[in-house]
Amino acid sequence: MATPASRATAATAPPPASTLLEVRDLRVEFHTRDGVAKAVNGVDYAVAAGETLAVLGESGSGKSVTAQAVMGILDVPPGRITSGEILFRGQDLLKLKEEERRKIRGADMAMIFQDALSSLNPVLSVGDQLGEMFVVHRGMSRKDARAKAVELMDRVRIPAARERVTQYPHQFSGGMRQRIMIAMAMALEPSLIIADEPTTALDVTVQAQVMDLLAELQRELHMGLILITHDLGVVADVADRIAVMYAGRIVETAPVHEIYRAPAHPYTKGLLESIPRLDQKGQDLFAIKGLPPNLMDIPPGCAFNPRCPMAQDVCRIEDPPLFHVTYEGLTAERRSACHFWKETLRG
Amino acid sequence: MAEVPKNDEPTDATPNVSEVETVDAETPEEAVAAIEAPVERGEPILQVRNLVKHFPLTQGVIVKRQIGAVKAVDGISFDLYQGETLGIVGESGCGKSTVAKLLMTLEQATAGEVFYKGQDITKLSGRALKAVRRNIQMVFQDPYTSLNPRMTVGDIIGEPFEIHPEVAPKGSRRQKVQDLLDVVGLNPEYINRYPHQFSGGQRQRIGIARGLALNPEIIICDEPVSALDVSVQAQVINLMEKLQDEFNLSYLFIAHDLSIVRHISDRVGVMYLGKMAEIGSDEQIYDHPTHPYTQALLSAVPVPDPEAREGRERIILTGDVPSPANPPSGCRFRTRCWKAQDKCAQEVPLLAIPERFVDQDTPAAHESACHFAEEKDVVHAA
Ligand SMILES: Nc1ncnc2c1ncn2[C@@H]1O[C@H](COP(=O)(O)OP(=O)(O)O)[C@@H](O)[C@H]1O
Ligand SMILES: Nc1ncnc2c1ncn2[C@@H]1O[C@H](COP(=O)(O)OP(=O)(O)O)[C@@H](O)[C@H]1O
Ligand code: SF4
Ligand SMILES: [Mg+2]
Ligand SMILES: [Mg+2]
Repeated sequence: MATPASRATAATAPPPASTLLEVRDLRVEFHTRDGVAKAVNGVDYAVAAGETLAVLGESGSGKSVTAQAVMGILDVPPGRITSGEILFRGQDLLKLKEEERRKIRGADMAMIFQDALSSLNPVLSVGDQLGEMFVVHRGMSRKDARAKAVELMDRVRIPAARERVTQYPHQFSGGMRQRIMIAMAMALEPSLIIADEPTTALDVTVQAQVMDLLAELQRELHMGLILITHDLGVVADVADRIAVMYAGRIVETAPVHEIYRAPAHPYTKGLLESIPRLDQKGQDLFAIKGLPPNLMDIPPGCAFNPRCPMAQDVCRIEDPPLFHVTYEGLTAERRSACHFWKETLRG
Repeated sequence: MAEVPKNDEPTDATPNVSEVETVDAETPEEAVAAIEAPVERGEPILQVRNLVKHFPLTQGVIVKRQIGAVKAVDGISFDLYQGETLGIVGESGCGKSTVAKLLMTLEQATAGEVFYKGQDITKLSGRALKAVRRNIQMVFQDPYTSLNPRMTVGDIIGEPFEIHPEVAPKGSRRQKVQDLLDVVGLNPEYINRYPHQFSGGQRQRIGIARGLALNPEIIICDEPVSALDVSVQAQVINLMEKLQDEFNLSYLFIAHDLSIVRHISDRVGVMYLGKMAEIGSDEQIYDHPTHPYTQALLSAVPVPDPEAREGRERIILTGDVPSPANPPSGCRFRTRCWKAQDKCAQEVPLLAIPERFVDQDTPAAHESACHFAEEKDVVHAA
């Protein structure tokens, strides 16, 4: 397995004091009838308390699988974690017993999914589902739990919470259901939330409401937030840092403003150039040629090389590590898994 | 048939759509001849007038009783010009797909007309209707479910020839399908493959090839790239633009992504709850919107570029879209509108150039259905 020595530096450097979660060299495979899909191929990322990390990438790039591994809800089998560490407050979650993980899940880390309707229980009232959290994890009485549920619904701005607490998920609009999911995730004030495409299924006007709410609660509770999305616009409004994924790897990570100003990976650059603009008509759209790789047959070297306008021989042979990107004026850490990050940065 | 309720009355007062020159065909031959006649670039090819589609809401299993209607499309009028792309935007449930189905004659209109080269297609039948259907084709959103998984790509693209054999006689079909594959950028040798062997973007190309098979004049695109990833989306959009030039097509391009719509459209119509709220050129709508709903919609679009984002005004609407079965009186947007006054609850605002802008040489002078239309730039940094 190719684990270049220089890549290891990313993982072995001591994390900053406030680091909440750190994923190191995570690898996940899926064993299926057709073969082995290498969905996650050495992901490194870290989130601090109060920080929002956006994980950006196209479908199939391994965003959700990484999140499932962190939450401990991966489909095993067919999935299998083949290596890596998931350090939560310095403790490797992969070494814990399922029972210990279950205690953390929900109470200290929670997840919000794209599709609220299929993630909520259709035959339980939203009040019962919200209250359940307090009954199970806090040992509250049903009555107190109900009061807590109303309070939470108020907090996520569900109008007439007291009356609606007995209603079922299908009786709420898409935007409200998503807010109920947020309420559920926030219920026990976890220190880490993973939101997997939380607004993808919503209309823009509702999307804006939900993102604002999420950002506000995150600030208030000083949580770490991992926001998974394929929408560059959504990221820009709320994230502190971005990690761009491609074929199961982080290919670039940077503070949000820096990445837009000057991407240091040709894939990020291509993505930015392929979005049409709202504020001007623009000419031809730039299109990244070709397709993302088949995860059962990832090309050797840099996985992006067949689609990359910068690719040279070295790209077809050597898997680029996450190089440190440096330039004058850059204060935070920035990395790019491209042999030609300097050239890419220069434009 | 559902009656159009009172408060939706004056739907016919749309002064800025073109005049319809109706064609009264005496015989089916005449009707078909009119349908096959060419239309000059920039002339109206499709004229939609007061189009209404109500879906009855029924109660009871054995004896069905109508208890109301979903007013999916409730009196809209617009023109589609030859060679242009008209974008239609609006939140889900506002009636975009229903408009598409009405234009495709896949649904029957409750009221109103759709003139195609002067003939109302909602009233056509037989050979004339068949000729219209050949000329108006559709590309659907979901490349995963809109293609029959048990048919080969060749059969899928060639299927329209079964209904319209005159376009491609039996012996020439395989060649024709391979040509179409080539036109949409797929390898002609893939003709015997099945849909699951293709990626989302490639499937959408197959859908487009099928849409082109009968040499149509109009293609109705219902969210054609919404299910695709950005990098692939750009490829498909570029292809559609190229094909439009090559085959002289007119597009009705429905999407909820406002940036994509701006990129591809010459004109844009904004729908809200079954009605057209505002319509104009891309510059008029994006740079000089006058309807509060358009302004809210545009301001909610998350813009990636931090420099373009800063200083932009954001309007966060409260609440959700009301049910189309029971739309608000007067202006349908008033329950979410920050400018709403008493008048908005009482009078339906007409889709017309707002009085204050009439006779003014300003991009704000375009049709907008608001009593208090006012220009507001929400897209550019202040
Ligand atoms: N339950 C599963 N069974 C088999 N393969 C899976 C499963 N879940 C994910 N995969 C594989 O992992 C890849 C990455 O999936 P995912 O993390 O969901 O991507 P995304 O970036 O869109 O969230 C998929 O393309 C698929 O090949
Ligand atoms: N066949 C149908 N029967 C009943 N209601 C329908 C039907 N088709 C659409 N509708 C309703 O009509 C409204 C408009 O739907 P649609 O045209 O699909 O909107 P859009 O494409 O803008 O999302 C929605 O409220 C929808 O539920
Ligand atoms: S008519 Fe009234 S309610 Fe409707 S958009 Fe204009 S100001 Fe708002
Ligand atoms: Mg996912
Ligand atoms: Mg639709």
